Amino acid sequence: MNILVAEDEEDLKDVIEAVLDANGYTVDVTENGAQMLEKANSKEYAAIVSDIMMPVMDGITALKKLRESGNDTPVLFLTAKTEVDDRINGLDAGADDYLTKPFAVGELLARVRAMTRRSRANTQKVISVYNITLDTDKEELTGQNSIRLPAKESHMLGFFMNNPEKDFSSEELIEKFWKNEDNADEEAVWLYVSFLKNKLRAVGAAATIEGEKGQSYRLAGTE
Amino acid sequence: MKEYADYIDDLTKIADDFVRRYEETAKDDGGDKLYEHLSSRIKSVESMQEKCNKIGVEMTAYNALKVVHDAIGVRVICLFIDDIMKNVRKIREMEGITVVKEKDYISATKPNGYRSYHMLLEVESDVPDAAGNDPGKYYIEVQLRTIAMDTWAALEHELRYKKDIKNSAIIAEELKRCAGELASCDISMQTLKDMIRGS
Repeated sequence: MNILVAEDEEDLKDVIEAVLDANGYTVDVTENGAQMLEKANSKEYAAIVSDIMMPVMDGITALKKLRESGNDTPVLFLTAKTEVDDRINGLDAGADDYLTKPFAVGELLARVRAMTRRSRANTQKVISVYNITLDTDKEELTGQNSIRLPAKESHMLGFFMNNPEKDFSSEELIEKFWKNEDNADEEAVWLYVSFLKNKLRAVGAAATIEGEKGQSYRLAGTE
Repeated sequence: MKEYADYIDDLTKIADDFVRRYEETAKDDGGDKLYEHLSSRIKSVESMQEKCNKIGVEMTAYNALKVVHDAIGVRVICLFIDDIMKNVRKIREMEGITVVKEKDYISATKPNGYRSYHMLLEVESDVPDAAGNDPGKYYIEVQLRTIAMDTWAALEHELRYKKDIKNSAIIAEELKRCAGELASCDISMQTLKDMIRGS
């Protein structure tokens, strides 16, 4: 399991690296937020352990940029006891947990284990309902044959497949999938529902998305 | 004894005749043609020899024309995915043509990602055939696909026949991914077209 560490204090950095390494993790070490960001976007990590106060780019700025780029890797911040604001800002910026310095190595390991466990449970990569399977990692929909879906269609179908036979209004779907997009309306939802209906049919799915334009939609079995 | 090579000119005429007749037939209600383009080819003597070797038969005129079915090959390339079935229906309705077999590799995609609709037809000709029928009966293999599927098949063909390609496993895997993306795109384009036309 790959862990990325960002820490500028030489001694602490060596300790964290040694402890994680001794416990079977593959560790990459960086010394500031900019390096951390670059590494995190170039390789898949199970978790990131990062200091907040670092030169060049601090941990919170790096985390914000990471989350903006759509990277959901769990992040544990290491903070000084006095830095209450940092802890709040860190969590608000998208950190998953924090640990105050000085800390016991046993606790660091336990928190890393907890964080990676949660993350695995949250990202169920392969969803199967009716006779279809969606691999959200490969964005591949398989029934009697397979096709690849663009990211938004894959997210949307994954949501429907996790909630079969449930109704979702156009407004709910806009809120969920077109957040921060000004031109999203019922027409856009209908277009994406139409893309998915036709693609479900193309793979020979025993299910379709039911619902009229502007109304609510549900994934329903057809057999 | 007539060999496969001796049939090439007759096969060319049979193919040209079929293509000409299909060009006249394949129009929608508004008179627009149902396909983007149409092409035909006669299998060269060399390719026929290779095919006979591959399936383990001697290259007699009979084997080349009666056992092997694609001495005459016709491709119907369509702009949109729904056009494929419109063309299939037109071909089924053509006079003097027997549909021997159909194979839908669009619904039942091949494991490598290949998609096309195949039809095996039999047409009559004044030229007696290698089985002694007069008038003769000749096979035509028709492949119908979209431009995207055709582009894919061209590249896959290259991969299959080029030897010593580095990383051929990863190329095959990526090619399969492309097949899935192109298929997805073909469906999106059809959906948009239907939406634009308000159907």
